[in-house]
Amino acid sequence: MPSSISSFKERLRLPRLFFRKPSREEQIHGGPPLEFERPIPPAPWSGIAIAVTIVVIVATAAWELYCRSLGYGPTLNDNEDLWTMKRRIVEPESIVVIGDSRAWFDVDLDEFQKGFGKRPIQLAMAGSTVLPALADLAEDKNFRGTVICSVVPHLFFAPPGSPPMDRAEKGVKRFHNQTPAQRVSQYLGMPLEEHVAFLKPDDLSLEGLLNQLPIPNRPGALVPPRFPPYFQTEDRERRARMWEKCAEPGSELAKRIQQIWIPLFTPPPPPSYIPKDVFFAQMNEGIKKRFADVTAAVEKIRSRGGKIVFVRFPNTGGLKELEDRITPRERTWDPLLKMTGAPGIYYSDFPDLSGFNCPEWSHLSADDSVEFSKRLVPHLRDALNM
Amino acid sequence: MNLSMLGFFKYGNFLLQNFQWLLARVGIIYQPPHLDILLPVGISFYTFHSLSYTLDIYRGVLQPTKSLRDFILAVSFFPQLVAGPIVRAGDFLPQLLHPPRLKNGQFLWGLALMTLGLFQKIVLADTLLSGSADRVFGYAGPLVALDSWAGVLAFAGQIFFDFAGYSLCAIGAALTLGFHLKDNFRFPYAAIGFSDFWRRWHISLSTFLRDYLYIPLGGNQVRPFRAALNLVIVMFLGGLWHGAAWTFVVWGLLHGSYLVVERIFRVSFEHKPWASTLPIRVLAWFATYAAVCVAWVFFRASDFTMASRILGGMFGRHPHGDAILSTRELLQIGTVTAGLITMHWAMRDNTFETAVMRLPPWTIAAIGSAMICAIIVTQGSSNAFIYFQF
Repeated sequence: MPSSISSFKERLRLPRLFFRKPSREEQIHGGPPLEFERPIPPAPWSGIAIAVTIVVIVATAAWELYCRSLGYGPTLNDNEDLWTMKRRIVEPESIVVIGDSRAWFDVDLDEFQKGFGKRPIQLAMAGSTVLPALADLAEDKNFRGTVICSVVPHLFFAPPGSPPMDRAEKGVKRFHNQTPAQRVSQYLGMPLEEHVAFLKPDDLSLEGLLNQLPIPNRPGALVPPRFPPYFQTEDRERRARMWEKCAEPGSELAKRIQQIWIPLFTPPPPPSYIPKDVFFAQMNEGIKKRFADVTAAVEKIRSRGGKIVFVRFPNTGGLKELEDRITPRERTWDPLLKMTGAPGIYYSDFPDLSGFNCPEWSHLSADDSVEFSKRLVPHLRDALNM
Repeated sequence: MNLSMLGFFKYGNFLLQNFQWLLARVGIIYQPPHLDILLPVGISFYTFHSLSYTLDIYRGVLQPTKSLRDFILAVSFFPQLVAGPIVRAGDFLPQLLHPPRLKNGQFLWGLALMTLGLFQKIVLADTLLSGSADRVFGYAGPLVALDSWAGVLAFAGQIFFDFAGYSLCAIGAALTLGFHLKDNFRFPYAAIGFSDFWRRWHISLSTFLRDYLYIPLGGNQVRPFRAALNLVIVMFLGGLWHGAAWTFVVWGLLHGSYLVVERIFRVSFEHKPWASTLPIRVLAWFATYAAVCVAWVFFRASDFTMASRILGGMFGRHPHGDAILSTRELLQIGTVTAGLITMHWAMRDNTFETAVMRLPPWTIAAIGSAMICAIIVTQGSSNAFIYFQF
């Protein structure tokens, strides 16, 4: 070894172990004296495998039958990948529906196609705020189509970091970053979801089932309100239809969901760790910023020749009272139209759009959504000068 | 060369940020260019795989392989490529001398290990624990002690089930292909003392650091102060290996200091008759588990503000803090943690294989069926394995 290298090693105090001559047994690549082998427990593995296969098939079939006996049926689950599938087919002149679950339930794509001569693309997302999808369309330089945007103020002004914002951002991010594995997984998952009833992550997954346990919480615990159970079906176009069991007048399910909306739409108390005045000032700033961001997005779309219309879909009962009280029209809808300069359709301003009953106070039944969409189209055409 | 690649990809931005901070302390404003570095998947693992090959050849304990195919396979064998275990060339290359042959039951035992791994990941880590841990570590305000501890215990369980689950999947997948990988976990939450913990936790990393760093530094065959310093250096680097953040460094340093304190205790009390009595062993286990959990705070927290908030909650500094976990979540964490610790104690001096050997076949079938049914009902979401990021 050249002396320079040798002294270099000394100076570095290279490990003495490196200089130890390995024993013959340690020189392992020449042969297998130290070759490692995992023990295989002696057991009748073939018999066990057959027994496990039979038990799992029987148990899964029994679970499926039990879920169907409860009224659950096979349907697609809404997720970011399904949303991404639809977002991918947006063309420059497309008609796109964005916003929250009211646009998702209440818009009938067939009626819109008849009215506009073009099939709209359903991009509304349950429990989400609209800004991420709107901003994404605004940033899409090819897009100069028509946007029909649902407004539920409680969701529309949801702050960054809140579940409605997270949900919407997740969809948009997935559209931009979807991996081939996620894409393939969605294509493989859809036929399964269309044939298996128990594939309902919100209701029938282990987590969903544990969530339904009636265990009271500690007084004062800041536990997020529960989400409503499964009450819709969805197809590959992301058309949501209210489950008939929920649409029946006075149904138990509808009543249960009504009582879930109230805590879900009631603003949580200010966090204990921020002074109240600071918190409310931050909220006001957040609302102003939301107006500004939406206005900027609307301007971008319009500058390319695109059109946008805001729509307030029907709500009824205790939820309407609550929404009117905490997010009154004068503080939300009116300034939105004024700042953006975009047209808007508030269902209660038009007699033919009023009078629909929302079985669970927030969405129309599948039948009513068809009629409502038929009546909405002429108003949309007027508003959009089509 | 191997380490410089790792240094560039994993630590480039971290070093630049710290350099910028240091310059700012002496009044020099320097704006480094932002390196938009995409971290290659599993870089930490294949760096260590190739490093072990190079070092073992340098040490003379391994002869260079003449086959490029074998070398590439040893470095990038897919089951353990992205999240370990770290497989040394010396353990893997000899298996490539002959075409792999499956022994009787090997394929199905491999599948059984993969099932257990998936059960740990999908059911226990992702469904029963991760949500609570994420909420506690993502909460911006002060928390009461119960919620803080529950969040930390949930993460302690989550990271074990996540990583041990992945390791079992890798070991099982390799077995089905005819290759044998060593255990990466050996019931670590039943460890009594920190050196015992590191003989049971991420064994492939701890033995790697021991053989290629600690012993070359002199190990414990030097003066006590130097031996202690060696431990701290090794754990410091072990922490940094997990990620380019000071929180990981503190996690490593904490474990280094735990090992030093343990050594002092051992030297002082090892030969006392009471030292090996049951109450003392239980006390030592409890202290080990609690201290490991405290260290996990730094591992999970994204910054020191979050870490100090959680630690403050754990040690009663926020009696009027918020309670954010539901009773159901608290029960879930308590049940899974109690089950985890009981299982680790029961299996402390055992292996999976010997435990399975003692079970009647119908019990193995029942456990396997229950795990697969639970995986099906869980309808797993797509949470990535935690160690993918390392």
